[in-house]
Amino acid sequence: MAGIQLRGLTKRFGSVVAVDDLSLDVADGELIALLGPSGCGKTTTLRTIAGFETPDAGEIYFGERRVSDLLPEQRRIGMVFQNYALFPHMTVAENVAFGLEMRKTPAAALRERVAAVLAKVQLTGLEKRYPRQLSGGQQQRAALARALVVSPDVLLLDEPLANLDAKLREEMRFYVRSLQQEVGITTVYVTHDQAEAMVIADRIAVMFAGRIHQLGAPADIYHRPATATVAEFIGLTNFIEGKVIGQHGALLNVDTSLGVLTCQGSLPSPDARPMLLVAVRPEALRLSAPSGSPPAENRLDGAVKARAFLGNIVDYRIAVSPSVVLRVQGAPHDSFAVGDRVAVTFEPAAAWSVPSREDTA
Amino acid sequence: MRRAAWLLVAPAVALVVVLFVMPYANLLVMSFFTPATTAPYEPTVTLGNYKVALADSFQWRVLWRTLKLGVLATVATLMLGYPLAWNLARASGRTKAALLVLLLSPLLVGVVIRSFGWMVLLADQGLVNSLLRRSGLAPGGFKLMYNEFGVLVGTVHIFLPFMVLSIAGALENIAPDLPLAARSLGASATKAFWRIVVPLSLPGVFAGCLLVFVLTVSSYVIPVLLGGFKVITTPLLVVQTAVDVSNWPGAAAQAVVLFAASLACIGVYVSLMNRAMRGLSG
Amino acid sequence: MTRSKLAHGAFLLLIVALYVFLIAPIVIVVLASLNSGRFLVFPPEGFSLQWYVKFVNSRAFMRSFMFSLKLAALTTVIASVIGTAAALYVVRRARQSTTLRLLLVAPLQLPGIMTALALLIFYYAVGLGGTTYLGLLLGHVLVCMPYAFLTVSAVLYNFDRSLEEAARSLGAGAWRTFARITLPLIKGGVLSGAVFAFITSFDQFPISLLLGGVGTTPLPVQVFDYLRFSFDPTAAAVGTLNIVITLIVVIVTERLVGLESLYWGGQR
Repeated sequence: MAGIQLRGLTKRFGSVVAVDDLSLDVADGELIALLGPSGCGKTTTLRTIAGFETPDAGEIYFGERRVSDLLPEQRRIGMVFQNYALFPHMTVAENVAFGLEMRKTPAAALRERVAAVLAKVQLTGLEKRYPRQLSGGQQQRAALARALVVSPDVLLLDEPLANLDAKLREEMRFYVRSLQQEVGITTVYVTHDQAEAMVIADRIAVMFAGRIHQLGAPADIYHRPATATVAEFIGLTNFIEGKVIGQHGALLNVDTSLGVLTCQGSLPSPDARPMLLVAVRPEALRLSAPSGSPPAENRLDGAVKARAFLGNIVDYRIAVSPSVVLRVQGAPHDSFAVGDRVAVTFEPAAAWSVPSREDTA
Repeated sequence: MRRAAWLLVAPAVALVVVLFVMPYANLLVMSFFTPATTAPYEPTVTLGNYKVALADSFQWRVLWRTLKLGVLATVATLMLGYPLAWNLARASGRTKAALLVLLLSPLLVGVVIRSFGWMVLLADQGLVNSLLRRSGLAPGGFKLMYNEFGVLVGTVHIFLPFMVLSIAGALENIAPDLPLAARSLGASATKAFWRIVVPLSLPGVFAGCLLVFVLTVSSYVIPVLLGGFKVITTPLLVVQTAVDVSNWPGAAAQAVVLFAASLACIGVYVSLMNRAMRGLSG
Repeated sequence: MTRSKLAHGAFLLLIVALYVFLIAPIVIVVLASLNSGRFLVFPPEGFSLQWYVKFVNSRAFMRSFMFSLKLAALTTVIASVIGTAAALYVVRRARQSTTLRLLLVAPLQLPGIMTALALLIFYYAVGLGGTTYLGLLLGHVLVCMPYAFLTVSAVLYNFDRSLEEAARSLGAGAWRTFARITLPLIKGGVLSGAVFAFITSFDQFPISLLLGGVGTTPLPVQVFDYLRFSFDPTAAAVGTLNIVITLIVVIVTERLVGLESLYWGGQR
């Protein structure tokens, strides 16, 4: 077992920079999810770790072992592909045995290890089946078994659940997570599905345009996105642009077109532009009738423009100025109708500041 | 309109039934008639034509040569076609389009003209021999056509594109992740090719070989032009018997025997390939 | 690393050699037609158009040439109409009928020389006589129709029928929908099928050999008869002309529908 270190990894395809000077440390036994939209470079990063792509610059280490110049078959990896890549002309047992065969494992040990890993992924009894005779979930587990049976140094998973139906996908998230923890293997998990990344990962690396925008635990990524792009990719966010006019401890006062708002954050460095975005999640906004006495701090008055009942929540669009419309999600019982005047309020602790887009673009 | 829709297909069906199914049925019946001297045949039923076709050692030799050439051409086409198919399947964009044009344009030129091209190259005073003589490599030159070698060269040339397309189709259907998965499990590039790519391309190899074999054993122009009537194959014999000797029943029986013999070869081949491909189909 | 580069270079060399092998006889035909000597030797003896002159002055060759062109044109029209109609029915009304599909492409499955022999004997049996123009034409249509059927079918399988339903919902009748929507969209398949049919007929050999009669000898048979007994570069001039005509047909089609549709039946 070993951790993974990526140092200044860069990969270009023609003029397109797929991976841009990327560095990342994955601790021994840790599961890191590379999360981002399609084309963000997450799959290229994974394929570079696997050795299927040759980086234009940068180094890759598995523990102390420098693997950058090794061929894929020399890296001691286990990989699960998006479509599983089970060999269609081999049975489940032959698929799982393939890696051991390549390592010239003696027949008796090979049989034993295949049986053990198939038992672990609950495929005992299906050894003689061909991949096409398995259900999607079974194929997925066979692919995991094939990758794990060789006791690889690192496990690489490329959107392994993307081809399963929604219900099975949710079950498999927990399954993959518990299997990974049981084996204790260092894992890089590529996905575009934020919920999947939240459930499965120790840490999430959010990628855009070949760079990691933010690396952190799932809760940090959700509650304190570092950039507007990350905030938008992970859940819904309202942004209100403003200029910092003061700081009180961990709180900033921001002068916006809707009045002065208070949010978490630290003063931008003196040479940075004073403009920033106040970010607040729709579920952190509260609605109340303006006739009541809502708090005066962080209060915006507006009118309900649209309303959608989504079962567990009600999704409102509240016009707080001619040009600003906020998304607000509330419990179904506090119900306002389209056209109602409302007051929108939020706790300063529930809002935070991110650099305005010009600074991160 | 809706009720009369079958009228759309009626002419095509009539064409094939009347001018294809019925003539072949007629050919089968003809093979049991008696040859005659004043007319092409006499409608008396006999097994004599088959007796001649199967008992005559000359006819056996011809059939044997036909099937042997079929197998040789198939093997040669496979060996030359696989690298081409591999190259084609991995190309993309403009390169691929250009390769396809190169590969397919020979198909657009008639078989007679292409055979003539080979005659120019392979004749005793042809280009290849004149090059060999001048360079001093072989002052006497080689006999390159009017023998089985010439027939083989022409045959392989004509049927190579079919083999390539058939194998390339199978190679393109192999998910690119599969050899990569083998690499991730510790297989070298060579091992991944032999253990994963080759087995998965067998359906294309299978179809290509079948096609080339069937086309070769029934080809006529190439054995005539590049064999120069020194390499007699069954199709030549059939046409000679029918047209030059006007023995229709005899020719029909020879044709039926050739069909049966190639079916038998195909049968053996199919059962062998089925064993090799047991996980691939279904 | 250098060893694998060497192997890669050797592989590319093999590929180039194989493509040279594929193209060689065609290039050679063109060269031989322009060569002044009887045999193409190394070094070349010189440039000459004498074989073309000989071709144009040969009544037998010219007659066969014109005959083949007309025969191929007529065959193409008939085969395209019949094949397109059949494809419309099979894809739309009898998608599941494997028998029907196999029956319609069957003429491609059996060797031409045997089909020609079967037809010759059959014509005689039904009293059409051995070698008539009608018999020859029908034989050509038989082996060309499957190409039209296959290419049009390929296009129709991918045809989005909601386009026709949209036209119908907008008030177009069945015929107008066919003429304004369906036909323009399957045009590529029809045209490439026609090109295949034309080339197949123009280069058709076995059917023509056995069913062509005196005075109705298609060009390939004329060339074949010539080559059987003598080695005359006039055949090279004919062959070059043949290649040029094929090229013109292909290029015109390419201008009309794109070359890919020739190979993929308009699928891409």
